[in-house]
Amino acid sequence: MTKDTTVITVPSHPKYLCVVREVSAKFAKVNGLDEAAVEEIRLAIDEACSNVIKYAYRGDTDKKIIVRFRMKRNGLEVIIEDNGIKADPGVIRGRDMDEVRPGGLGVHLIRRAFDVFEFDERKEKGNRIRLFRELRR
Amino acid sequence: MKIEISDYNGTKVFGISGDIDMNSSPELRRELLDLVVRKVPVLLVDFKGVSYIDSSGIATFVEGLKGMMPYGGRLKFFGIPQGIREIFSFSKLDRVFEIYPSIEDAFNR
Repeated sequence: MTKDTTVITVPSHPKYLCVVREVSAKFAKVNGLDEAAVEEIRLAIDEACSNVIKYAYRGDTDKKIIVRFRMKRNGLEVIIEDNGIKADPGVIRGRDMDEVRPGGLGVHLIRRAFDVFEFDERKEKGNRIRLFRELRR
Repeated sequence: MKIEISDYNGTKVFGISGDIDMNSSPELRRELLDLVVRKVPVLLVDFKGVSYIDSSGIATFVEGLKGMMPYGGRLKFFGIPQGIREIFSFSKLDRVFEIYPSIEDAFNR
């Protein structure tokens, strides 16, 4: 395993989201990110994994989600992988923030924490999301 | 997450503690909408014990508020920790929800 890398695999059950949050926060913290950044990252990764459960696995709790954390020289990279239904990145957008309705906030919370939020199109089955937060921001 | 429903001078108080996330928000939704269908006129929500909220929790409260608006019900929050207040502010929902510092303020206004 590369230095400054952590990998976790969790079942696609919402009860394991707290495990993802805990590891996300600790990983960011031990790598020197400040408290505000840690909170944003924790929430964003939770939102991304919730979307995997909801959309890629359609609520199936018996699948798995792999989350890889890597501290690079210029920032924090998080890769989230599933083997569920392929997402269409073109249709993923948050709600208009002036609109008051349930839903559509998660994407905004992910983009708030990460400078890069992209799908790796090379993955044939399932999804591989790459999140990257620059250290200088 | 734990929900305790109590009474403050005749007004229902929803005391929530712990994490509100995709795992716990269905229970929150059930409890909240149960009061909304019974047309509770005012609901005070105590956030002091809430350690975390995600978009599913926020969406649940938006749904509750939307359910209360047609009959003139009021959903009032108090004791929101700073980190959670920031999420309401970021999502511009601090302009939509009634947010008060204390139960007395929430009750009296």
